[in-house]
Amino acid sequence: MNNLWILNMGFVALLVGVGLYCLLTMKNTVKLLIGVEIIAKGVTLALVAGGYARENLMIAQSLAITVIVVDVAVIATALALIININRHTKSLDVRKLTKLKG
Amino acid sequence: MHLFLLIGLLAFSVLAVLLRDLLKSAISLAVASIFLALLFFLMNAVYAGVFEISVVAGLITVLFITAITLTRGDGDVAESRKHRIIFPLFFLVLAVVDLLVMKKLLGQIPAIQGSESGTFSQVLWNQRTFDLVGQVGAISAGVLAVLALFRRDDMHGTASKGGSHE
Repeated sequence: MNNLWILNMGFVALLVGVGLYCLLTMKNTVKLLIGVEIIAKGVTLALVAGGYARENLMIAQSLAITVIVVDVAVIATALALIININRHTKSLDVRKLTKLKG
Repeated sequence: MHLFLLIGLLAFSVLAVLLRDLLKSAISLAVASIFLALLFFLMNAVYAGVFEISVVAGLITVLFITAITLTRGDGDVAESRKHRIIFPLFFLVLAVVDLLVMKKLLGQIPAIQGSESGTFSQVLWNQRTFDLVGQVGAISAGVLAVLALFRRDDMHGTASKGGSHE
């Protein structure tokens, strides 16, 4: 049980690391959102793995569901924002957002 | 089986980051979600697994594909070619640090054994009512934000169309 938890948490750290790499290096706004999504996956896995190891699976699941729902709201809003920005700048490049004026 | 699913989850997440085609990235992310949901089922977290498959692998993928289709043609952002060299190095360093640190770090966390009773619905509705209120708030905020964004865009869209003809 304990070894499984350590294995899970090791992969959680790797997932969050990959998501952070994506956020720090990618220039495409949709790719940045994919990075956020990967970090959210890591967090959800950490919650459920923690609940499984401590035998508190019900509370862990309810927290994981909360994270998933909040994640959906964030992604929907961010994608709407990206579509709007794309109509103005005709690009998905995050570097062009610095040139927005008012 | 557990390790295989974890490796699959990580591999498809890495693919989602590294693939150049956004559509393929979105589909890789959906496959990673399916691996995560299977992991949840393996850990007896059935409700979280169902949510992961239906909401993350289903709804979010549809949202991503819709957004990619609506911005088609403008999605070719020139990403740096250095990723092919930098990412494996970064991943290797991260994995080594993870391997060295994680076991010691987690060993220091005291084992708190909680006594859990009742069904999932009792825990969700009685113990985590505040979370549910938060979820309703988050969904409402998301819906209102999307509505506000598109309404504002319509006004600006007609204005900018008029301006571009001049």
